[in-house]
Amino acid sequence: MKNKILNIKNLSKSYGAFKVTDEITIDLHFDEIHALIGPNGAGKSTLIKQIVGSVKHDIGSIILDQEDITDLSDVERAKIGISRTFQVSSIIPQFSAIDNIVLSLLDKSRKTFQMFKSIRNNKELYSNANKILKEIELFEKRDISASDLSHGDRRKLEVGLALAMDPKVFLFDEPMAGLDESGTNMMINLFKKIKSNSPILLIEHDMDAVFALADRVSVINYGKIVATGTVDEIRRNELVRDVYLGYEI
Amino acid sequence: MIVEKIFNKWILFFLFLIPVLGFIFEEPYYITLTTKVVILGIAGIGLNLALGYCGLISFGHAAFFGLGGYVTGILSFHALNSELIFSWPFVTSGSSEMLVIWPIVILSSAFLALIIGLLSLRTTGVYFIMITLAFAQMLYFFAISWPNYGGEDGLSIYMRNSLPIINTMDPLTFYFICLCWLLIVIFISAKLINSSFGMAFQAIKQNEERVKSVGIETFKVKLLVFVISGTITGLAGSLYTDLNRFISPSVLNWQMSGEIMVFVILGGIARLYGPLVGAAFFIVLEQTLGGYTENWQFWLGLILILEILYVRTGILSLFEKKFKYEK
Repeated sequence: MKNKILNIKNLSKSYGAFKVTDEITIDLHFDEIHALIGPNGAGKSTLIKQIVGSVKHDIGSIILDQEDITDLSDVERAKIGISRTFQVSSIIPQFSAIDNIVLSLLDKSRKTFQMFKSIRNNKELYSNANKILKEIELFEKRDISASDLSHGDRRKLEVGLALAMDPKVFLFDEPMAGLDESGTNMMINLFKKIKSNSPILLIEHDMDAVFALADRVSVINYGKIVATGTVDEIRRNELVRDVYLGYEI
Repeated sequence: MIVEKIFNKWILFFLFLIPVLGFIFEEPYYITLTTKVVILGIAGIGLNLALGYCGLISFGHAAFFGLGGYVTGILSFHALNSELIFSWPFVTSGSSEMLVIWPIVILSSAFLALIIGLLSLRTTGVYFIMITLAFAQMLYFFAISWPNYGGEDGLSIYMRNSLPIINTMDPLTFYFICLCWLLIVIFISAKLINSSFGMAFQAIKQNEERVKSVGIETFKVKLLVFVISGTITGLAGSLYTDLNRFISPSVLNWQMSGEIMVFVILGGIARLYGPLVGAAFFIVLEQTLGGYTENWQFWLGLILILEILYVRTGILSLFEKKFKYEK
């Protein structure tokens, strides 16, 4: 059995009588992409928010690399190796693309509180940022203000911000939403490449991308995991077809 | 940005020129007026770090301005009267030496900003505005009800505090002391803004959730910015007391916080020289319109409304020529 780097047990969150996540148990192995699929409002993004700590869960536990992070703050979780993208692009709009990436590199390089050295003279940070921009195919647009980037480029930049943190796990929330075919292919190739260093929990509605990428797939509906398995198992699962896929594949 | 940079150099040129002309033509009034602009500009630059660059809308910076002023006044008052401030647990006497007073002002303003910041930065938005306002008002009412140092009537110190060799009573000399502080504050602010730390706090203003998600402790960053900001404004308060040789609770009032904020908004939020330009514009309005009507603030209000509607980013933005994608 493969080692688990991320292990979530019985994670629940309710808003009044409404259970957004209901005793969710899910794990992420080393070297894998575990896709989380389900209809809109099923609780996928709330689960991501609970894992990163921006939404407090009611019960349950989260273990990252054998360390219980259940009671850590969102910043502490990011520091010890959880990196995410947001469902709606969340970038620093007035910063250039490269400055967004440099910001993401600050904590790892312990430069956040460096006060009297010009950040622009830090060649190492900018060189590392350039490498990441090349990986996400935004190098040519590195000096463009993030607010002026197209939707697709912002999605790429989001992934770049996550890459820059060199985390233990990635949590990607619909990273391919709104991307054209070449952008999607770029992401697929990138994710295949990076999963060996940092496994990925992937929320995605593009089923072609999910089936091309995922080693395992979990299906969530009304806040509950209704099925987990390989791509083939999920494709054959009648319950999954009923609640989400809705068609014969 | 290039045009703005040239304009900034012109500002510094005029800050040298006007007092020198005042001295040559024996018009000390203009030296005093320019000194006031410089001191209020320093206070504004302090607030601009928190408000303009980090998005912390503090409505209580009068607390730091007033504290700096009162620390200066109290130390000087005791030195001139040869009285001890404390005799227990250790003997503490006053001082009229600026080189003694400034470090005490800096430390006490930083400490107050740390306390206020630790409590207020747990809130955001309108709650942050209200809690900073409440702290300043607490100090204001405390100063009013403290008879030892003049209460509502304020405290006169008669003699300006001194520096070795230099005659600080000379208006032009005192002006250049204030100008030196302004240049130091601009230098420090510019360094901060262009540093990694500056990148972090400017990012917090735009998207704090994203900054947290990349592992940056935003609370610590904001707290440090708030402390630096409060310290700079406290230093301005100290110079203001020396300029007027008088301190009263009015500098702790919410109106003072509002005026410092007006300097920032008028000149240009998140522009290094913005608060200085805003303070100059404010003083010019006060001196010109104030000669015609007591209610000159009405016109100030009108100008602020027009600026916010049509210019938004302050007077300095009128001199901006930003090239797209320019770093």
